[in-house]
Amino acid sequence: MFSVIIYGRNDSHGYNLHKRAAISFNALAEVMSDADDEILFVDYNTPDDHPTFPEAIHDTLTDKAKKHMRILRVRPEQHAHLKSKTHLVALESQSRNVALRRSNPRNRWILYTNTDMLLLSRKEGESLSDILGALPDGFYQVPRFEIPEMLWEAAFDRKDPAGNLAKLRDWSMRFHLNQVVHNFMPMKYDALGDFQAVLRDDMFAIHGFDESMILGWHCDSNLAARLALYRGRVDTLMDKAFGYHCDHTRVAAANNKGRKTTMNSHDKYIWNVSSPYIPEQADSWGWPDVEIEEVRLDRDTSYERYTAGLAKAIEPATVPFTSTSCEWHLFDDLTYDLSHTLPFVCDQMLTYPRATAVMVVGSRAEFVSRFATAWRGMGLTGPVLVPRECHLDLDHPAIETGRFADLLRRTDLFLFEFGLATQKEGDPVRTGREASPADRKQLKIVERLFRQAASTESATRPSGRRTPRRFIGVNVIYNRYWPIFTDYVGANINPFCSQVLAGFPLEVPVTMREKILKFRKRAG
Amino acid sequence: MRAGEIEAAREDFERAIELLPDFAEALASHAECLDMLGRSGPAKPEYEKARRLWAQERGGTPDRCYLFRQQGRLTFEVESYELALKRIKTGSFPLSASGNALLARGKPEEALRFYDQGLKVKEKDPAILALKGEALSMLGRYRQAVDTFTASLNANPRAPETLSGRAIAFAAMGRLDKANDDWRRQLALLPETQSAARACVALRLADYEAALPELERAIARAPADPYWRLYRLTALKRLHRPLDGTAPPSGSAAWPRPLFDLLAGLSTADDVLAAATSDGRRAEALFQMERFKDVAERASPAMIEYAAARNELSQRR
Repeated sequence: MFSVIIYGRNDSHGYNLHKRAAISFNALAEVMSDADDEILFVDYNTPDDHPTFPEAIHDTLTDKAKKHMRILRVRPEQHAHLKSKTHLVALESQSRNVALRRSNPRNRWILYTNTDMLLLSRKEGESLSDILGALPDGFYQVPRFEIPEMLWEAAFDRKDPAGNLAKLRDWSMRFHLNQVVHNFMPMKYDALGDFQAVLRDDMFAIHGFDESMILGWHCDSNLAARLALYRGRVDTLMDKAFGYHCDHTRVAAANNKGRKTTMNSHDKYIWNVSSPYIPEQADSWGWPDVEIEEVRLDRDTSYERYTAGLAKAIEPATVPFTSTSCEWHLFDDLTYDLSHTLPFVCDQMLTYPRATAVMVVGSRAEFVSRFATAWRGMGLTGPVLVPRECHLDLDHPAIETGRFADLLRRTDLFLFEFGLATQKEGDPVRTGREASPADRKQLKIVERLFRQAASTESATRPSGRRTPRRFIGVNVIYNRYWPIFTDYVGANINPFCSQVLAGFPLEVPVTMREKILKFRKRAG
Repeated sequence: MRAGEIEAAREDFERAIELLPDFAEALASHAECLDMLGRSGPAKPEYEKARRLWAQERGGTPDRCYLFRQQGRLTFEVESYELALKRIKTGSFPLSASGNALLARGKPEEALRFYDQGLKVKEKDPAILALKGEALSMLGRYRQAVDTFTASLNANPRAPETLSGRAIAFAAMGRLDKANDDWRRQLALLPETQSAARACVALRLADYEAALPELERAIARAPADPYWRLYRLTALKRLHRPLDGTAPPSGSAAWPRPLFDLLAGLSTADDVLAAATSDGRRAEALFQMERFKDVAERASPAMIEYAAARNELSQRR
């Protein structure tokens, strides 16, 4: 019957976002009663190495919310062409249009709202699907009522939407929450964007939201103006349902700078709208030709893929614990426990697109082959690119070998492993082992290719790619490759236990010499 | 109501409803007053009735300018936009919206004034020019309408509804060749998803072969709309194919039921004409009787039947 369209990203937009959103997702699913109903969440421009926002909070969502939710992931690379034109990291019009294009065509209605809203039918037990199903064609809004921060934060249970809605029904009267704030036509109500129910056909006819609105604010008013022209009237649904907003102004969100807030032009996008249509985006709205990944929370989850991949690559431990050491006298010992390290390496991969091409440059052949097994097992379909210069004789269906210079242009993600080529499974770890001549020879190759890849990253990107590629280093903590890796890659400080560092290449490599000089200067 | 005198407002709305029982806007506002007075029970059926009244109005055809599909009196909308105009001096939106509401209610002269004011704010704006063209066309000033539509199309040539407006003005001026050119361009611009609009354009061109599959798709999307079924029967008949499904959709209104009966051979031409209570309905009836000359002489140029009849006559020659 209807598709709810909302958007956001895995960040901290406004006060206690995680709780607000979980309350809202679960409450939206609670008022759905038709199998075709869906919550389309556009996860816009979350960094590639992060999961989408709903994935990050999935444990707080009800099964019903997970069943109805489809996550459409817009990657930073897909946003890159707009990045220089806006101060915002998530764009409303683009997000909502991407979802509209991909919404269930069997649904008659589209409901635009936000991730902090609860919709309460006035007749107890009546679903929003039933309400919309009985409604004549039109453009409907409801007034938005505020819930004080204290109430939703302290009294709502994220996983009890029915209980939350019951509390709201009580509070609305007890605390006088229901105050309709009227507004000029065509807006009709204040904060109108939290409930705009539109026919899907109408949205397609008027070419969706206006995608030139990239400075934030007023996208909802622009839509109201265009639909008011198109339909003549803005109807109310307040006899059927009320909309409640989890107030979150304790902390200002990124798009709220008080009087200094940058906004789309009020005049241009509301008071000078003269047509419902936007002919200049008639063929392009919602990016019809762009492949948008879809993520589900009720099947084929990242966790399921992760465990499936690792199950293929490593056996469970047979002892209660193993040990290693980060003492300084072991600085030159490059042994590490592969089975312990691989889960941390795979952890870096799952959030990337399935078709990602990863270049793996390593010393230990076993690492590369086990990684390739896990890669395929996790459902990643892109190739594992291994440069011929590594001289690793590997026969694995996921692995493609070729000249390093050629593979650079095909790579989306880099993985460099600095181990000892001679280390075998079961060898002791960090006990003071020295590298053999064969180990040193192999490590020199890995180091040379790493320096070359990192220092030329921006010049060797695949054709058309705008965003930098991520580098993952394995066995680069508390050993001689720690400074080398971080000379080139801006990585966080990670625990030694994980063995893994990751980040983007620095524009200008920072050498150890520079670091020492800087330290001396600071020390006076 | 906004002054907080809810009971007094409710009484006023009640009087308005006594005078005009189908005044949906007054019903909806009366319901809102009751609701605010805590009488939500009696308010509910009034909200519903208002929606039903709006939904019962037959809007304009989907190939025409969107404003002809607007439902209701739009009284409160015009009032609200007039209020906005007191504050908003540099915006064309309230002017376009008010003009549209007036034009949709058959007041082209008043609408024209709003559009002209709008064009002072947004000079040469193709959308407002197209609206002005519609107002001129409704006033019968077809030459000026064509010029205004042309100015709009020069700025935005990919505007199906503007092409439709100009085609109607051309047809009214007797320039059927020019009108058909515009309708063909409109058909080429309309996406396949807009099957009902595409069907209407094909019918205007009297191209029943093209109209038939579009009508089938339109029926699938809106099975309760009697006109897509009626026009499907028309197309079948004009293509000399057997008629099937001659019954109107269940629950359809009194009109166009007699036209279904006519096509099914269940009633006479005289019966149907007697049931046609407006000029538009009479034109629809005459068209189904294939009295194309009468339709071309009497019908409004904006009607599908007018264009189709003109094309039928032209094809006979």
